[in-house]
Amino acid sequence: MNTAKETAAELRKIPWFREITPEHFQTIAAITHLRRVRAGEVLFRQGDKANEIYIVIEGRVALDMLVPHRGKIRFYTAEPWEVFGWSSATPIIHQRTAGATAVIDGLIACINAEKLHQACDDDHDLGYLVMRRLANIVASRLLVTRLQLIDMFANPESQNAK
Amino acid sequence: MITSSTDQSVETNTNHLLEPHWAEITAITPEIEGVSTYWLKFTDPLEQAAYSFQPGQFNMVYVPGFGEAAISICSDSQDRSLIGHSIRFVGNVTHAISRLKVGDVVGLRGPFGTSWPVKQMEGKDVFIACGGIGLPPLRPALYHIIRNREKYGKVTLLYGARTASDLMYTNEYDSWREANIDVQVTVDRGDSSWNGRIGVVPMWFYNFRIDPRKTAVLTCGPEIMIRFVIFEALARRVPPESIYVSLERNMKCGQGSCGHCQLGPYFICKDGPVFRFDALQPFFNVEEF
Amino acid sequence: MPNDHRPKLGSTIAIQKPVFNTLLARLREAGYQTIGPCIKNDTLVYDSIESINELPYGYISEQNAGHFRLIQAGHKNYFDVIPGAQSWKQFLFPPRVDLFALRKNDKGWETITPPLDAPAYAFIGVRACELAAIQIQDRIFMRDDFNDPIYRNRRKRAFILSVDCSNPAGTCFCVSMGTGPRVKGGFDLNLTELDDVFLLTIGSELALGLVSDLPFEDASAFMLSTAERIMDNAAKKMGRSLDISDLPELILKNLDDPYWQEIGSRCLSCANCTQVCPTCFCWDALDHMSLNGLETSRERVWDSCFNPGYSYQAGGNTRPTISSRYRQWLSHKLGTWEQQNGTLGCVGCGRCITWCPAEIDLTKEISILRKEASK
Repeated sequence: MNTAKETAAELRKIPWFREITPEHFQTIAAITHLRRVRAGEVLFRQGDKANEIYIVIEGRVALDMLVPHRGKIRFYTAEPWEVFGWSSATPIIHQRTAGATAVIDGLIACINAEKLHQACDDDHDLGYLVMRRLANIVASRLLVTRLQLIDMFANPESQNAK
Repeated sequence: MITSSTDQSVETNTNHLLEPHWAEITAITPEIEGVSTYWLKFTDPLEQAAYSFQPGQFNMVYVPGFGEAAISICSDSQDRSLIGHSIRFVGNVTHAISRLKVGDVVGLRGPFGTSWPVKQMEGKDVFIACGGIGLPPLRPALYHIIRNREKYGKVTLLYGARTASDLMYTNEYDSWREANIDVQVTVDRGDSSWNGRIGVVPMWFYNFRIDPRKTAVLTCGPEIMIRFVIFEALARRVPPESIYVSLERNMKCGQGSCGHCQLGPYFICKDGPVFRFDALQPFFNVEEF
Repeated sequence: MPNDHRPKLGSTIAIQKPVFNTLLARLREAGYQTIGPCIKNDTLVYDSIESINELPYGYISEQNAGHFRLIQAGHKNYFDVIPGAQSWKQFLFPPRVDLFALRKNDKGWETITPPLDAPAYAFIGVRACELAAIQIQDRIFMRDDFNDPIYRNRRKRAFILSVDCSNPAGTCFCVSMGTGPRVKGGFDLNLTELDDVFLLTIGSELALGLVSDLPFEDASAFMLSTAERIMDNAAKKMGRSLDISDLPELILKNLDDPYWQEIGSRCLSCANCTQVCPTCFCWDALDHMSLNGLETSRERVWDSCFNPGYSYQAGGNTRPTISSRYRQWLSHKLGTWEQQNGTLGCVGCGRCITWCPAEIDLTKEISILRKEASK
């Protein structure tokens, strides 16, 4: 277990948290706790209730989907300072669309999604900052997905054959 | 300007510039699926002794009956005994190469083209972002940096491939790390056995502190990846003059004559393959140019 | 009237037209193959000629976009016809030429270099635009860092008898490109055709030797002023014009203009324009292997940026659409060529307009692009 002080210290390492007001920082820090994870530890599975948003402080967390006959396919890893599980910050998605597994030992900041919603509803200034950050994350993740979809490293001959 | 001359005599014994020089395949190293490294040595020892190249340059490799292909040199420019070409088997000529064995000969012409700015980068941090078979043309630059490690600041290699089994030269990463090069790899997709990064090269920029005033960015790989590497580098205020790109196109001569590799005013074979990005900027986003 | 002194280098003499036969004979005696415009199979070609009678006497050519007709106009001139599809390029940079052959032996491959055995050519009737085109190709094939022996051996040995253009065709725009109609330099002999005589300006020692004992008279002031008038008239009769004041910038700043798509919708990508263009230099190298795999020969052939395979590599094509290929051609010819070679790649000969089956006219396309760009 960790103290609020420790949590705040870890969050302050992340550039985005240094740019927001002390009040906003306090609001988020108060609904966040730290969690140590071991390599192989599953943070959530596809279909789980989505109740937290995560930020990697240390370590690496793989996002995966279980594909019949192919096993668990890892399609993204979240590295330090990266947010994952962010779809629980959206108003519609209430269950996990992918699984998350720590691939090496690490430290994760876990933000209570419901309380974050509430805080954003209560203070639209904070809500704007959080949603803008979220938009940034979605845009960058979308670009990654597009580049993966393009399959840019594929053999051009097999690409043309398609 | 040429004025007419009175000289009617024909030159004799003039070998054409396009004639191949023969080199023997001394070894073949399978790298990844569809890519092997061919270790070549000119059959004429004098020719081998006279041959030298700069990191980033390429040769025209010729298979009689099939034709020539431009292939970057992936070996150490200080090793004068052998010339290494990591060749992906895609297209007529390289498929023909894939059927050759140790002891067979191929034609070689070169080296051609511009090189990585290893001298101009001295005293700077070096950030190499490459993908797939974009690593082979950069390997001679890495060897140069390792040999002259004290002349460079922080050196980072960010390398991406389709899957873990598509990563080139994996057995060398440890020795590069020992030479104080931060080697970071990422793949497009992984299974449960892959504990490394998954994602695309350009997106990992944010993980690194780049001092735009003293960093040279080198990039090579699929053009779409190069685009986003440059996008990220510029977003981090690295000036275009500090970004170097290696490009490839259809080439027949390697000497700026046949016309095939033109990109705007440039012949990629002669004015490239390594370009400083400010030279490419006006043409880089023109579709199908 | 016969003359008792010998002509000088740089001077202009006048000969009676039949004397031209003696000049052709002298050139052949000196070892030259004399090549000039002549009509074969009802079309105008450049081929071996031995007599003035083989020149297209009295003919003119009627040229327009996608249109070429030889017309017997009843002129009393030998050099009034503006050239057809062929240019001198085919002699200096042959459409196909052997680079080398290889024969397999126990050690590998033996290289057999073909001898540089092209004849010494005397080009009879090189137009100002065509001479400019040769000089442009000199910069391509005789660069310090790529000096092609096949071109060099043909070019250095060639005798050039140029001719001032008196009767430009409908697709001519050499005035716009600053290359003609008057020949400026780089010739051995330059000919201006008057009604009764040929004026010959002597441009080289070799030419001086060839003409020095021909029956000649010095060009009179009247002849020279007549020539001047003919040239002034010719300059006014250009069938086309091209405003090059803002080239190459106009093109390079408008590479994304939708007008390229419009041109691409008309262009057939047939490559005619590049084949008739006297400056287009792109080539491909091809191997021809014997069935037993023991012998192969490698030849150089003309290529074209309109061929789909031109920019094909490792499974992909850089310019898959016709509009991108047309843009490549025109933006090179009237754009990037300048940065590569110090001149534009167009001499205003009009061949690409005449021989385009889709009647695409680069002078028109550029003026439309200019209007589009200023919108």
